Amino acid sequence: MIRFAARRLGFMLLILVVSSVVVFVVGRLAPGDPVQLLMGDLRDPATEARLRKDLGLDLPLWAQYLHFAGRALRGDLGQSYANPGRSINRMIADAVPPTARLALATVTLAILLGIPLGVYSAVARASTGDFLARLVALGGMSLPSFVVAVLLIRWLALGWHVAPVSGWGEARHFLLPVLVLLVQPLAYITRVTRAGVLRVLPEDYVRTARSKGLSPWRVLSRHVLPNAAISVLTIVGLAFSYALTGAFVVETIFRIPGLGQAAIGALFSRDYPMVQAVGLLYAAVFIAINFLVDLGYAVLDPRIRYR
Amino acid sequence: MQPLAPVLAPTVRPRRAQWFRALERDRTTVLAGILVALIVPDSLILPAVLPYRYNQQSLDHTFEGPSRQHWLGTDQYGRDLLTRLAQGGRISLVVGVVTVLAEVLLGGLLGGIAGYAGGTLDEWLMRLTDMMLAFPALLLALLLAAILGPGALTVIVALTLAGWPAMARTVRGEVLSLKEREFVVAARAQGAGAARILLRHLLRNTVHLIVVRATLDIGPIILTEATLSFLGLGVQRPMPSWGVLIADSFQYLQSAPALAIVPCIALSVTILALNFVGEGAAEAMDPGVAKAS
Repeated sequence: MIRFAARRLGFMLLILVVSSVVVFVVGRLAPGDPVQLLMGDLRDPATEARLRKDLGLDLPLWAQYLHFAGRALRGDLGQSYANPGRSINRMIADAVPPTARLALATVTLAILLGIPLGVYSAVARASTGDFLARLVALGGMSLPSFVVAVLLIRWLALGWHVAPVSGWGEARHFLLPVLVLLVQPLAYITRVTRAGVLRVLPEDYVRTARSKGLSPWRVLSRHVLPNAAISVLTIVGLAFSYALTGAFVVETIFRIPGLGQAAIGALFSRDYPMVQAVGLLYAAVFIAINFLVDLGYAVLDPRIRYR
Repeated sequence: MQPLAPVLAPTVRPRRAQWFRALERDRTTVLAGILVALIVPDSLILPAVLPYRYNQQSLDHTFEGPSRQHWLGTDQYGRDLLTRLAQGGRISLVVGVVTVLAEVLLGGLLGGIAGYAGGTLDEWLMRLTDMMLAFPALLLALLLAAILGPGALTVIVALTLAGWPAMARTVRGEVLSLKEREFVVAARAQGAGAARILLRHLLRNTVHLIVVRATLDIGPIILTEATLSFLGLGVQRPMPSWGVLIADSFQYLQSAPALAIVPCIALSVTILALNFVGEGAAEAMDPGVAKAS
């Protein structure tokens, strides 16, 4: 187990390095000269040279990368181009809580609703309830989140005034964004849980458990669900990815000051250090999620450890 | 009961006739197929047939309701909504098809090479797919948009980069099992080179999987394209894609909701239909998948 974890950890670090190179390259290839961006209309060769030196732009590329990576490792993400004088660290620190809160709420709800729905749908296969659950699943995967947002705003906010159209800071601002973010993870969790349970149901050990006279609930909880858990685990990791990428759209629509809005805003205002920072942070989070999911596999299924 | 013939020609996939029979039983898929068959030609033909251009403004006729001249009404600049809807569909479909083709080429070829070559090359290519699969398409698109600038090309490149690993893995898995089969050994014994074996014998026999995978992918690809265009990272104005149409009419949701809701319906119905067709094709091709989903 420890060897498996160590190997995955090594791979994870490798991907992290690759992602940091990609993110660095993005910053270098992006159009526009950072010094020009920082100086604005100011024309002063001395200041320009000093800035260039401060930013390390006079060094060769590989040295610039090491500089960039070293600073990132020490937790210093640099200065914003668009908001002179503000550190990226500060901006990221401000933007993380809304996104994290929304993602946590969304994933928790998606698990609490999706797993029971999927199990029910599999056990009651071909019933009306199953049909409805599958409709939720396939419908949820086919509806773009911004379409859901448009419909919810039109009816819940503008029509029935259940929730405000946009904004952040109060509990009532939570409802619509979470509902919008929920659609895709809920659909995927329901679908994968259903598939996982359906795959396990015809197994011999399930039949044996049934014929021993165990109650349906016990068969389900002791024999079916643990074996179906492995396929659900992947999707919980994916659900987090959906909630975090969903933030780009949802935070833009509902004007939530989180990472998603910050990244999109930074892209349009050419604030590349901010784009890089969000890219790096997201990459790190996705890699960590994948790592945890892999570890979870190994815990649930010993065969994977020895592959 | 299965006939005894498979002893001579062991084949995993159902015969073509069986495939059609399975499709026939699956009413939802057929219905979705008919929908797709209605939407696609509309988007291709309507912009040419309708008397308006997608960017033709008429400031005396803004926010009009449906009428004989404008079947779906007009938008904030008096542009014909039906024309823009069809043009938007055309763009979404073109971006979707181009992306899927790029994904098939890249994923199919790399997956085939990985599976056929095996060894270190295979291992590294699979590591690469592992790596790519960790990154959501939207994040890739965001970073790419920083380099290339927003636009349809950015969308196509980002979605291809995000999509090829899954395709490569599908193809690799199949090639891995096919390459030990007699017909490959026979081809090699006749002196066929690696490229010929890969292209003529191995990849040709994975076409059914590639087609199913591509059908499954096109719905999500169009969805992501719409999302990126909605955010302003994809197709650029004045070119309408469905995502752009929805983004532009968003602010009139109170006064002219139809402007946003009509493209929302068009987009959702198209993706839903494409997804149903994809699932149906996958199930018909491999009934084992049908049990699992």
